[in-house]
Amino acid sequence: MWDQILTGFGYWDVYAWISFFLVAGGMVYLIRSLGRKDYKQGSDQDEIFFGSNPVPEDGEDLKVPASSAYWGYTQALKPFYDVLVGFHTGVATDYAGWYILVTALVALLILL
Amino acid sequence: MSWQVHLPALLLAVPLLGAFLAPLTALGGKGLRNTWFVLVSAAFTMIAFLLWTRVGSTGTAIYVMGGQGWNLALPSGMSIPVRILMEIDAFSAFMVLLSAVAALAGAVFSIAYMDRFSGLEKFVALYFLMVTGMFGMEITGDFFNFFVFLEISSVASFGLVAFWRDRGEALEAAFKYMLVSTLGALMVLVAVAFLYSKYNVVNMATLGKVIEWGIVEKTALVLFLTALAMKCGAVPMHMWMPDAYAEAPAGVTCALIAVSQASLYGLFRVTYTIFGAFMGSPVIPWVIIVLGVLSMFIGVSMAVIQKEVGRLIAYHSVSQVGYMLLGFGVGLLALSDARAMAEYGFTALKGGVYHIVNYTMYKGLLFLSAGALYYATGCRNLNDMGGLGRKMPKTMALFMIAAAAIAGLPPFNGFVSKLFLYESTFAVHPILAVFAMVTSVLTLASFVKIFQTAFLGPALQKFEGVREVPGTMLLGMSVLGVAILALSLFPTWSVNHLVEPAAKALVDQASYIGAVFSASVTGGGL
Repeated sequence: MWDQILTGFGYWDVYAWISFFLVAGGMVYLIRSLGRKDYKQGSDQDEIFFGSNPVPEDGEDLKVPASSAYWGYTQALKPFYDVLVGFHTGVATDYAGWYILVTALVALLILL
Repeated sequence: MSWQVHLPALLLAVPLLGAFLAPLTALGGKGLRNTWFVLVSAAFTMIAFLLWTRVGSTGTAIYVMGGQGWNLALPSGMSIPVRILMEIDAFSAFMVLLSAVAALAGAVFSIAYMDRFSGLEKFVALYFLMVTGMFGMEITGDFFNFFVFLEISSVASFGLVAFWRDRGEALEAAFKYMLVSTLGALMVLVAVAFLYSKYNVVNMATLGKVIEWGIVEKTALVLFLTALAMKCGAVPMHMWMPDAYAEAPAGVTCALIAVSQASLYGLFRVTYTIFGAFMGSPVIPWVIIVLGVLSMFIGVSMAVIQKEVGRLIAYHSVSQVGYMLLGFGVGLLALSDARAMAEYGFTALKGGVYHIVNYTMYKGLLFLSAGALYYATGCRNLNDMGGLGRKMPKTMALFMIAAAAIAGLPPFNGFVSKLFLYESTFAVHPILAVFAMVTSVLTLASFVKIFQTAFLGPALQKFEGVREVPGTMLLGMSVLGVAILALSLFPTWSVNHLVEPAAKALVDQASYIGAVFSASVTGGGL
């Protein structure tokens, strides 16, 4: 139960990883404990720096929406995504059409 | 004779009884209905567990229905089995156990999740019918009954996907699912008819023994392969999956994952057990590998750009099915070459089998987490969410476990199955491993997106009243969360007791065939 898993090419040892995370966690805790202890909660030290502007009361005005995530990635791959999204038409007959097409292609490959 | 010889029959009878009595439980009110829902689910999970342990200790189980005796596969004077025959080897038992756990988690979660809606006795009845069909697909020993069980699970699934019938999207998703699913089931029936027309038999073991490699058989294989690949969501036949998974109630989606795995089981039973002897030609294995690579890459690419949490996770289902197809495809490629099987084929197969376990557990938990977010906030769109980690810390913790596991972050279980797949597929061609790794990176990216936009960020005023979901929903999620942690912490036990016996059973065609005929002679079986 506690052995390593041999993959044929290497091995997997979950306990080595858990030990690594425990050591890393301990180091993080140590570094954190070296921080200043005279920090005053509720004072200006607590304030969020929002480009020198007043911080909006509702988080809605602060948050980064999901549609902004990976903007650079999707812009860089726009031609790829245009094709990919265009291929997902949402039309039921297309769903059936792709199934028939794949069946025909596989039939050609196997029967010929 | 132990009562446990009847476990295969009980596995079908218990959920079927649960389905037919569910409308009556409505007479006893909500409490009786919910108790019935959980009790029957717990009962079939226990039966699945007992069956798995029994098959592990006594070998392949045979159960004959409608015959002179439960273990008489071949009555005197008969040269082929003609009764309804259940055959459960280690691979079947493994699938049944996973499916039962997913269905139990979905049922427990659904108690509170569905409480606000009416018509729940119909919901429970359809749920149990779906489970019956799923179990039937995984334990049946003949193709015609495979088709019947496929239809039972599909028809019940259509009703469950469309359960929120006031939502046009749910009805549309169910209609699309019904259209392609019925087309696929029809092709399965035509494939069975092709084989029956030539061999006069539908029993899987007998077909595996006598089958030849002619036009009829090749046509049947094509029809089986594409229909079952479509049912498990392989690209480019996957489009029904994001629609159906995102629109079905979360508990149902958790069980639907196991239903799609039953189709995957059928695909591998056909290719390995029935047609395994003809896999010297690399065409079929490469078709499965290409479908796997396409599913992995296109599924995850589409997931990254989704804004609706259910659809995002559903596209990941397509991607994860790709990993399994890749592993099983590489295993199939090595099936007729003992050296290749020893070098990389069996490792790939173990990776595929291990990924089935992992996928069923973490994907189920991810869908339940998405359901919890919807239950608490009424939102499906990630753009509308934020800061929920403060309000729903337990849901967030369970989501994090599942997200880390699916992304293959060490030390979680998802990494182990992916490690098997990376290393073995690299031996076939490095580009396969590259696709698998890129898919894993994009998987992590998309779950970071959900985590960051739904759980992190500033608190939103509109969610001030949001509270953690009820205990039964957390319990349903915890069943899967604990399973993921156990699989992660005890990988050696998982591989030795769950994965390897299933993988060995799948490549041991002779044992599957021999079990039916030895049961006929000796009256053996379970």
